[in-house]
Amino acid sequence: MSKVTLALDSYQLAQYAVQVPCYICEGGNNHDAELCRYCQAPMALAHQARAQKVLPQMIATIGTADAGKTVYLGMLTDMLSRQAKNLHLTARGAFSVSLQQHTIASLSRCRFPSKTPNEPDRWNWVHCQVRMDGRRQPVELIMPDLAGEAILEEIDHPGTYPVIKAFLNRCVGLMLLVDTARLEEGEDDQDFFTMKIVTYLTELHRQQAAPKKGKKNPLPAVSIVFTKADHCDESFDDPAAYARRRTPGLFQLCKEQLPRHEFFAACVVGTYTYCWELETKVQVPLRIEPRGIIPPFAWLMKQLPRSS
Amino acid sequence: MRMTSFGDFLAFSMLATSLAFSAYSAWWIGQPTVAALALLAGAILLIWRFNPLGNSVGDLPRWRRRPRRQSSLSKPACSRASRPSNERDSGSPASDEQPAAGSPSDRLVAEMIRNGREVLLLRPQIAANLDPRQLERAQARLDEVMAIVPQGPVLLQPWDLDREAGEAPSDEVIEVEGYYLDRFPVTNGQFKAFVDADGYEQMSFWDEEIWPAVLEFVDQTGHPGPRFWRDGSYASGTADHPVVGVSWYEASAYARWVGKRLPTDPEWVKAGAWPVSRDGASPVQRRFPWGDSMDRSKAHLWAPDVAGTVPVDATPGGQSVGGIHQLIGNVWEWTASPFAAWDHEARFLHEKPLKSVRGGAFDTYFDCQASCQFQSGEDPLARKHNIGFRCAVGVCDVEPVGWDRPEETDASHTDSPRTNPASESALS
Repeated sequence: MSKVTLALDSYQLAQYAVQVPCYICEGGNNHDAELCRYCQAPMALAHQARAQKVLPQMIATIGTADAGKTVYLGMLTDMLSRQAKNLHLTARGAFSVSLQQHTIASLSRCRFPSKTPNEPDRWNWVHCQVRMDGRRQPVELIMPDLAGEAILEEIDHPGTYPVIKAFLNRCVGLMLLVDTARLEEGEDDQDFFTMKIVTYLTELHRQQAAPKKGKKNPLPAVSIVFTKADHCDESFDDPAAYARRRTPGLFQLCKEQLPRHEFFAACVVGTYTYCWELETKVQVPLRIEPRGIIPPFAWLMKQLPRSS
Repeated sequence: MRMTSFGDFLAFSMLATSLAFSAYSAWWIGQPTVAALALLAGAILLIWRFNPLGNSVGDLPRWRRRPRRQSSLSKPACSRASRPSNERDSGSPASDEQPAAGSPSDRLVAEMIRNGREVLLLRPQIAANLDPRQLERAQARLDEVMAIVPQGPVLLQPWDLDREAGEAPSDEVIEVEGYYLDRFPVTNGQFKAFVDADGYEQMSFWDEEIWPAVLEFVDQTGHPGPRFWRDGSYASGTADHPVVGVSWYEASAYARWVGKRLPTDPEWVKAGAWPVSRDGASPVQRRFPWGDSMDRSKAHLWAPDVAGTVPVDATPGGQSVGGIHQLIGNVWEWTASPFAAWDHEARFLHEKPLKSVRGGAFDTYFDCQASCQFQSGEDPLARKHNIGFRCAVGVCDVEPVGWDRPEETDASHTDSPRTNPASESALS
């Protein structure tokens, strides 16, 4: 009768006994979990923050579906990574380059990147380090590419996407994208959607506890970006005047609710046309000429607290 | 309804008032017929002066009356291939810009050359009436500002949305006639001569379909001219920058004014890619005018600190084999062809017809979109900040000067390379 020896690996159980908090929602997870079991955010963010001993700040890029969040973020990261002066971005971790790679590869072939899926586990979470003139220490940032439909779903039905609520709760800055193409077509939905988002943010903020007793919790700085502004060149001349004229509800709400906000106009595509693809009408960018991409982010960076 | 000057306004107001006063006096002294005649005269005077009926009164070929600015003819700001930019800006006279002495036709020729309209002088109909000295002068000027692109085949790469990266394109070979192409894009200074010569008001330069829109082709202050100009002029210090903010129709009208036209797509590609034909094989051509690899020092493209156009001669080393500058970068260039005209399998669904633009601009982000083959499109009515143009003219459209005409030579010389400057062998 042969004797079987089993290794005693109870020491591995010890690792499971210690919970690793998710960097976004702070929910406890096993040390080897890939995604947070509560909010589906990648646990790599938490591991990276622990290993590098820095706590990244968070900047959200939000807007309705098709507002251009993926293209804007992908282009922004690529432009900042090429730029040496004033503002320079370095990706932290290979997974942080994916959004940039995917967007640039598509645009260079005159295609728009594919739509961001609604599932949080398939979102691109960009973790990067930004060096700025006038700041000795670089700023660590997390900027995910959220799906527009998921954002609106969470706003309309809170709790559908807990990751969005947890993330927006911790944001120090926001870039709110408004689709100029749809505004120019006369659709009012952009005004209403963005008003919903601003209201959601301010409500979320009120529910949050103040960091110190007797002190108000400051609302994050918000840069409101009119994307696809090539549809209306005047928006580049005076974005605030354009907002007052075309999105009066949003303009007034921002004035009343957001102490730190600024309007910008940006576009990535020079012109576009359509083509048939699998019996679907697909938009084709005919050339890429980014305009106004960096200023909203640069303004936001100036608003960030210096201590963190 | 514009006044040319305040003095003008005052004079006419006084005349109208005195007529009205005469009418009133005549009526008062019991002469109603005289009063009516005086009122009628006043009304005719006012209608004639203020022209409320638009084209129906006054000179018919003009759309609008506007103050005539001082003509730029006395201070040309055209780009000069052989002159440095500082000299251009100072407006110092070049050899061909000295006041023309002599006959009225000499002065006319000098003025036409100053305005960049030398091609008109070389049109066979006009050339027949000029003396050889005048013709030589015009030809010398043409050779200075335009380069010959030889006849021959060129490969045109159609848009292929299904092609994977690295996959060989299915090029189409197009035969191009020999033609002249501007060595530089049209500058603000050159375009101002057109604006000052009331080019926006001469119907004959504009496509009939666009007549209703021409009144909308105004600058920031409502004067006829490119979109980003003010008070009918460009920003100071940008005389030698390429003109931008012009629609395809404005570009075409300017080209007509100088006796030229916009180049077609194959012509434009041929000028940059400079194909070399071999027997039985596809022509070999360049990706960029200077070679096959991108060199950003030779083209003004997107860079973190780039904010706008630069002078047309600011990128030395980027010229084509034929000596044509800035085909790549600085501004996109309108061509005469529709977008994707050579794409037989195109599945594009344009909401409005687009015209082809080529070459990339100061804000073009990708190298692959700033090559000789890359084609983009634009609404012909668009007046973008990064689209300019350059002009072309067929070799067959100008009277040859300085080389033997085939019909004047003997049979043994008819096929000689010297007889046709546009033949490749002549250039080689």
